[in-house]
Amino acid sequence: MSVIGLHHYLIVSALLFCIGLGGVMIRRNVLIIYMCLEIMLNAGSLALVAFSHFNGAINGQILVFFVITVAAAEVALGLAIIVAYYRLKQSTHVDDMTSMKF
Amino acid sequence: MNLLTLTLCLPLVGAICIGLFPLKGREAYWAALTASILMLLCTLRIAWIFQDALPEGDSLFRLVEFYPWFPDLNLSYKVGIDGISLTLLILTSIVTVAAVGVSAHVEESPRTFFAGLLLISAGAFGAFISLDLMLLYIFHELALIPTFLLIGFWGSSTYRERVATKLTIYLTAGSLLLLIGLLAFYFLLPPNIRTFDMEALRLSLSAPNAPTGLILRSHELWVYPLILFGFGILISLFPFHTWAPQGYANAPTAVAMLHAGVLKKFGLYGIIRVSQVFLPFGAMSYWMDVLAVLLLCNIIYVGYVAMAEKDMNYMLGFSSVSHMGYIFLGIISHTLIGISGAIFLMFAHGLTASLGFAISGYVYRKTGTRDMTQLGGLAKSMPFMAVLFGMVAFASAGLPGFGNFAAEILIFFGAWDKHRVVTIIALWGVVISSVYMLRAFRNVFLGDLKPTQDPASVITMSYIERLPYLLLISVLVIIGFCPSLLLNLIKPGVEQWFVLIGK
Amino acid sequence: MNAAWLLLALPLFSFVVIALFTRRMGTLSSLISTLTSIILAVVAVLLFVDRIPAPDAAIKWIDFGMLTISIKLLVDPLSKLMLLVVTGVGCLIHIYSLGYMKEDASKGRYFACLSLFMFSMIGIVLAENFLMMFIFWELVGVSSFLLIGHWFERPAAADASKKAFITNKIGDFGFLVGILLAWTYFDTLSFPGMQQTLPNSIGESGTFIAMCLLLFCGTIGKSAMFPLHVWLPDAMEGPTPVSALIHAATMVAAGVYMLCRIWFLLEISPTSLSIIAWIGGGTALMAALIATQQNDIKRILAYSTLSQLGYMVMSVGLSAPGPAMYHLTTHAFFKALLFLGAGSVIYALHHEQNIWKMGGLFGKMKITAITFLIGTLALIGCPGLSGFFSKDEIILAASHHSGHLHALYYIALGTAFLTAFYMVRLFTVAFINPAASRKHDSHGDDIHESPAVMTMPLILLAIPSILVWVAGIPGYLKLGHAPEHHGNMVMILSTLMFAGGSLVGYFLYIGKKADPISIPLFQHKFYFDEFYGVLIKYVQQNVAMVFHFFDRFVLDGLFVTGSGLATNFMGRVLSWFQTGNVQTYVVWLALGILAIFWFMIQ
Repeated sequence: MSVIGLHHYLIVSALLFCIGLGGVMIRRNVLIIYMCLEIMLNAGSLALVAFSHFNGAINGQILVFFVITVAAAEVALGLAIIVAYYRLKQSTHVDDMTSMKF
Repeated sequence: MNLLTLTLCLPLVGAICIGLFPLKGREAYWAALTASILMLLCTLRIAWIFQDALPEGDSLFRLVEFYPWFPDLNLSYKVGIDGISLTLLILTSIVTVAAVGVSAHVEESPRTFFAGLLLISAGAFGAFISLDLMLLYIFHELALIPTFLLIGFWGSSTYRERVATKLTIYLTAGSLLLLIGLLAFYFLLPPNIRTFDMEALRLSLSAPNAPTGLILRSHELWVYPLILFGFGILISLFPFHTWAPQGYANAPTAVAMLHAGVLKKFGLYGIIRVSQVFLPFGAMSYWMDVLAVLLLCNIIYVGYVAMAEKDMNYMLGFSSVSHMGYIFLGIISHTLIGISGAIFLMFAHGLTASLGFAISGYVYRKTGTRDMTQLGGLAKSMPFMAVLFGMVAFASAGLPGFGNFAAEILIFFGAWDKHRVVTIIALWGVVISSVYMLRAFRNVFLGDLKPTQDPASVITMSYIERLPYLLLISVLVIIGFCPSLLLNLIKPGVEQWFVLIGK
Repeated sequence: MNAAWLLLALPLFSFVVIALFTRRMGTLSSLISTLTSIILAVVAVLLFVDRIPAPDAAIKWIDFGMLTISIKLLVDPLSKLMLLVVTGVGCLIHIYSLGYMKEDASKGRYFACLSLFMFSMIGIVLAENFLMMFIFWELVGVSSFLLIGHWFERPAAADASKKAFITNKIGDFGFLVGILLAWTYFDTLSFPGMQQTLPNSIGESGTFIAMCLLLFCGTIGKSAMFPLHVWLPDAMEGPTPVSALIHAATMVAAGVYMLCRIWFLLEISPTSLSIIAWIGGGTALMAALIATQQNDIKRILAYSTLSQLGYMVMSVGLSAPGPAMYHLTTHAFFKALLFLGAGSVIYALHHEQNIWKMGGLFGKMKITAITFLIGTLALIGCPGLSGFFSKDEIILAASHHSGHLHALYYIALGTAFLTAFYMVRLFTVAFINPAASRKHDSHGDDIHESPAVMTMPLILLAIPSILVWVAGIPGYLKLGHAPEHHGNMVMILSTLMFAGGSLVGYFLYIGKKADPISIPLFQHKFYFDEFYGVLIKYVQQNVAMVFHFFDRFVLDGLFVTGSGLATNFMGRVLSWFQTGNVQTYVVWLALGILAIFWFMIQ
């Protein structure tokens, strides 16, 4: 087996990102969309760690900490909004959340 | 603060006061009337001191006042007058007094109405005195915005709001074109002479080692039409005229008088002041022929449309569109005679159009209809109006004794040398206008009373009520009999104008 | 200040005073106006006998260097003669109107307009330059409008006045284009100036012919030549003194006067002269034919005026402007006489104008009848009266030409025959035939003679109708070239026409109660009114309708409202992007980022 290089990690990260993006675009349940969003964020973090490891700079790993913190805050906020909206519409189906339609 | 700015402030301050103070009932009317009469008196005073107020230094304009505003952009508050602007200032004041005078009957929110009227008048006045391109534009917009409110609320038909919207958007589109043109001109100027100040531009134009023209000729060819059509939309140049009849027909009488009488002339004034002077190459290029064709359409095509109209206000609206063609003919003639005739006709037509709309408004109020097929024989019940409308009809048809004749003769003779065919076709327009005006006169005032109307009892008009109409017609007759009164103002102004374009 | 300026200032002053101040006071207005007209006549006579020198002063109305319109009086034999005619006939008609319009409610307005007319007409006569003449030409048109439409509550009068003005305006259009063309040839537009600076090299070019014909357009309009003749018969809706003054003696003659004024231009162009002659001759013949079948006394006289105007215009076209003015002068007197006589008859019969309802007037209205007879005889060319001599000169001029113009000689003779025919028809039916049944007036009397204030002018007009040929007018005018001395052939032939026409007319109509001949073509005036009506209705109105439709639905509807609707539509289409669904937005976001990457890689 050849040495696992940077590009392997980047491909995995890209695949993860696309899966997350696809999930966001296609899934109908708001919570699933949220989870896919988290997948996208983690993909980004993975890429950052890979770059940091292979380039020898610690900056990427520090940035990952920031990303995880921001993700946590965002999840807290987002879930609160989703719960509030669920109380209004009694549904988590994303097609029911179109109040901003023209 | 010199007399010009003072006179400009009169309607402005008047408008603000009427808007702010809690005036009841007819007090708003009297306040507005006072403001407009004061404005007229001040304008006459300006005319009185005009001869003695010699221009300072290199300037061609008199009573100049200058306050810097945006020095980095060379945008300033600069006002001044010469013979041409003075004529139009007098027109503005007279029509303002008449317009306010005939609006005594406005009962709904009179304060806003009169404030708006005075703002329109202030805008027009300011536009005529401004010597700065951007100031010209600002005053033009000032005059335009209140028309939207006034037509929308006090207009005379059920779809007045739609008409007001249409008119305002159309005219604002025109202003937009104009703005683009002005800005393009400004930015295309070489940086050392880049200014909005018309006097400074003129000095650069006539500087001994200046190139021919302020901006490149190829640029002039596309900037000129922008400014031309920008103003042209305001002047109701064919094919941009369709806002005019609807707008005037549905506007309250005073607004129609001010709009047709004064605001249209502002567009023509703008062309003479701005595009003919600063873009001389564009003016003499093929755009002149384009303009010739368009003005013929104005005169002939719109004249025939007027013939098919049954509503008196619509017909008067088309008639005023049609007469703009003659003024254009005077402008493209590029001769002393032609341009003087054009300015004279601006003055005379302003009076004629205002008077026509005033009479039509009066008839509408008293009989409830403007449909000429429903009206008839009104000379028995409104003899004063009949005489006045007859005079308006004959003046529009170019009868000597009214100012229009002298003006039209000057225009035709001025344009004859360079534009023979155009002049001949334009002359036929005189026949067309006499057909529809006389037809209107005969149908509405002469002949039998129609069965839909009350039997004739003479409607009395007090002398005070008659005054606005008398003011308009007497000035028209005076300049008809003694055109030199006005020509002595106009001719030197136009001669200077020729100096400006270096002819 | 030269007294000749009074000729313009006085009637204007009278008009302003009456119009502004004394309009309600009818009698005062009538006296002001009549007094003015008498003073005008006196001044005209003084001017004629050179007691007043020709004025030199000019009022500069518009001064632009190369275009200077000045109000200046031109006093030469032509204008002095015309002044006499205008003021003389005018004065007599003012006096006549004192009686005729005594019971009219708007007397003041009538006399104001009469003064305005005198002002305008004298302005045309004394005009020293083209533009001054044009100004007064238009003013005369508006005076005519006001006077024809004096009884404006009647729809027929309102329509007639509008028709007159617009028809005139069409002629004025051509006139003004002609003046503009003249301006290209000369630096000045003043008549003496043009005459002096007329270059010898000026030839008969296309532009020159166009100029002459366009100037002639003014005459076609004002003097009611074919094809703009339709307004004159309708103008009879006005009061009869107006018809006498304006539409017989003076205003319609202004066209002929103008032609004589510009004779120095016309004589250079034989082509234009031929066209002028043919239009004149054609009008004369056509009008005479129509007159033979008309039943309204004023209409017959109107068509007779048309016919005689045709003679005058034809005479100018035949290079005989002197005889044209001569005939204008004689015609002014006897035509005014005839109209005033008709007015007297109408007045006495309480506004009955149909000749078949008249009759037996010879016995009841001696003065009117005799003066009417004198006028008739003068008009139809009875030897010894003035009309004979003037008409004779014209026919003589026609006989001198060869080629196609010679046909006009026969037309002139034929028209003379017809003139005699229809005038004798008129006189026979109205005056000689037994009275048609009619109601008696309030006093139980049958009709009686008109008051002296009306019969006096009749008598005064009868005198020049007989004698004015003594004055030797063509010699006085020195216009054009005097024809060589005539043979007697023309005189014999014209007398024969007079006699023949009169006899046929007399014997055909004596004792008849209704018209034995009926020719619809003539009765309906060659269907010109119908033709113009169709022309206006189907051509002009349809053009107007098409333009109106185009303006409203295409320019306004399609483009303006359409652009508004298009903007609305675009707005609505673009708002489809706002689905409210987050996922849609995410998709667009992703696509956008891909696009950016794509462009960055490029």
